[in-house]
Amino acid sequence: MSRAIIDAREWQKVFDLRTGTAKADTSPLDQMVRAVQERHPYPGDLDSAGNRWVTDTALDLMERYDPSFVFLTYAQQYFSGRYSIQTDADRAAAVTAVYEEVERFVAQSGFTPLIVGTGGMIPLLASVDLTRLDGLALCTHWSARYAGLHDPSPRDLRTVASHPEIERIVTREEFLSLFRDCPADAARIPEYLLVARQGCMFKTVGGAFRKVRKVPAPGYSIPVSACLEEVSDSTDVRAAVEKRLRNGRVALIFVEGLGVEDFPWPYRAIDNGREWFFYETGDAQYLTVTTGRHQVFEYPVGYRYFEEDGPAMEFPFSGYFRSVPEDAIAASFGGRSIAVGNRSMFMHMATGADISLECFARNLYNQGTMAVIHRSDKA
Amino acid sequence: MQCNYCERRCDLSGGKPGVCRMYEDADGAIRERFPHHWSSCIPSRIESIPFYHVRPGSRALVIGTMGCNFSCRYCSNAFIAKEDPTLVAERMLRLSPSEVVRKARQMGCGSIVFNVNEPAMSFPSLLELAEAARAEGISLGCLTNAYTTEESTEMLASIFSFFNIGLKGLSPAFNRDFIGITSVEPILRNIRRLAATRHVEVTTPIIESINDNELGEMARFLADVDPEIPWHVFRLLPEDEMKESCYPDIETIAGALESVRSILPYVYFHNFVGSEWVNTHCPGCGALVIERFSLGCGGDKLKSFHCAGQGCQDCGRQIRLAGDVECAWKHGEVQR
Ligand code: SF4
Repeated sequence: MSRAIIDAREWQKVFDLRTGTAKADTSPLDQMVRAVQERHPYPGDLDSAGNRWVTDTALDLMERYDPSFVFLTYAQQYFSGRYSIQTDADRAAAVTAVYEEVERFVAQSGFTPLIVGTGGMIPLLASVDLTRLDGLALCTHWSARYAGLHDPSPRDLRTVASHPEIERIVTREEFLSLFRDCPADAARIPEYLLVARQGCMFKTVGGAFRKVRKVPAPGYSIPVSACLEEVSDSTDVRAAVEKRLRNGRVALIFVEGLGVEDFPWPYRAIDNGREWFFYETGDAQYLTVTTGRHQVFEYPVGYRYFEEDGPAMEFPFSGYFRSVPEDAIAASFGGRSIAVGNRSMFMHMATGADISLECFARNLYNQGTMAVIHRSDKA
Repeated sequence: MQCNYCERRCDLSGGKPGVCRMYEDADGAIRERFPHHWSSCIPSRIESIPFYHVRPGSRALVIGTMGCNFSCRYCSNAFIAKEDPTLVAERMLRLSPSEVVRKARQMGCGSIVFNVNEPAMSFPSLLELAEAARAEGISLGCLTNAYTTEESTEMLASIFSFFNIGLKGLSPAFNRDFIGITSVEPILRNIRRLAATRHVEVTTPIIESINDNELGEMARFLADVDPEIPWHVFRLLPEDEMKESCYPDIETIAGALESVRSILPYVYFHNFVGSEWVNTHCPGCGALVIERFSLGCGGDKLKSFHCAGQGCQDCGRQIRLAGDVECAWKHGEVQR
């Protein structure tokens, strides 16, 4: 049974991850993880100490659990880029800061780092307002470039077809055929996927109101550590990590909001999607890397997410996720693994690590941390 | 020219902006400056808003506008409520009343709830919305600080059928220093008035060592208004001007709340992940009648519902519930 330990600051509680039922588990492993959470309260998504929290927490957890595989996410620079006014100097300082945090982790842990930049950011140029369509347009997953369109009227289709900031209108069939090798529940996929032009983002009902400053840059290619010479596509990363895990300890490190233009390490540019489609930073991109296969349809962008959110929904702490992906990288790794990150609460699902420790923040509201223990038998 | 929508009673003559900056003097009449500008239009579980005793398990369309007549030091929506409306207006959604209602239908929402800021800031738009919603059989609810004048409280009652009213504190010093108002009396008056004819729940954010000493007094006031009024005590999430403050201690507040449970049967303590104080027990026999799950900022949700109609399954005692209960929790509200 996977357990979630919530730390709401000076107050902790253990739950069954799947059902959300409170548990009274006080195993030594739980106690150890709880103590780590207690020592590392999350400073907040926009706080400059957010990335330091990742390194400190990971090192603390590693000292006590001794993993061979570590998955890390550094996201502070993504949040501040998205929501704060940043000069070029601010941006450069944010990149330097995350570089130093990653290097500190590498120096102190001795792990071989394999670093993935999830894609750069560019200033928002324009919003494309879809709220007045007759049909229902939805953005999900913090998406800027993509929106799903449901039940459009002929007038809607004319409107979006003539909109100067919309680059492409993709039918469900077209989208499915681009990723025809991926399993899909066609009914969950919007009738149309709308693709915004570079620098633009969609405005739909259901969106958050905070003022967005930057959006994902065109991310057809993303940077990975130059040592990953056999990798040319995001779906190849997993195998490359597994190969290196056979000979030593490896840290797979996601650095959010950094693309080839500002990646501070020597890198290779790899494909981050297919043809016109690229992944924006988020759970689908994580899953693609950690499972080694494209994951566009599992929780498709722009789907009617709210229809699945009833009392019967399982995994209440896990965002969109409705099940634990069986083939995530750490889930099939025989050695010990941990994951630590400050980007939302999906890493425990996307990685399948024995122990994950994540911030519990939604829409930038900081409510503490969550640890998920998938495996106790390796302790 | 005086605006009488709320107890600030601002003088808007000569182009003066008023506290909320949402109204203006237009040749002797009060005019809304940004009609039908919405900062939010988002489907939500009704428990997340929070309403625990209205259509449990249902989906509501949450709307909001901008501006506020309070200046709470811990505002969690300061980026909408405290910003100069002129600066944020361009980002707002412009939807006519019928478009808002259509969005609610498209997303399977059986009600529309005004949240985010203060409904008194947008009376004319809300009056029009209420008419459009009524025509479609959709009910309206709101979160409000209830700092409205007596006349506009009647207007609130004509627009909304269910309320969650913020009772933030009682002492003059607290209201002056943390909320920026001179007296809580209008709020107490309006809680009484609205609870007389409408479904009312009350929310109180607790700041440790600042207003937790008033829990008993607040509970007694509420019990006097309506002995079964549902009361949500929120653990304050330090935001805005109080960002550096400590998070209130959960066990301390939960302990303090134990003593008020004998005064009010429906007392909840939440706004943090995993709260165990979110369930409803039958005031008659103590049976668990509604089980919920709290994700803090991620919102609360219904987990299980054990009433027969509006009564306790075990002893039959009536449970405080408003709206079409069976439909909401059993089937959700998916109506494409
Ligand atoms: S509604 Fe606004 S303008 Fe009118 S009295 Fe209140 S704060 Fe002043």
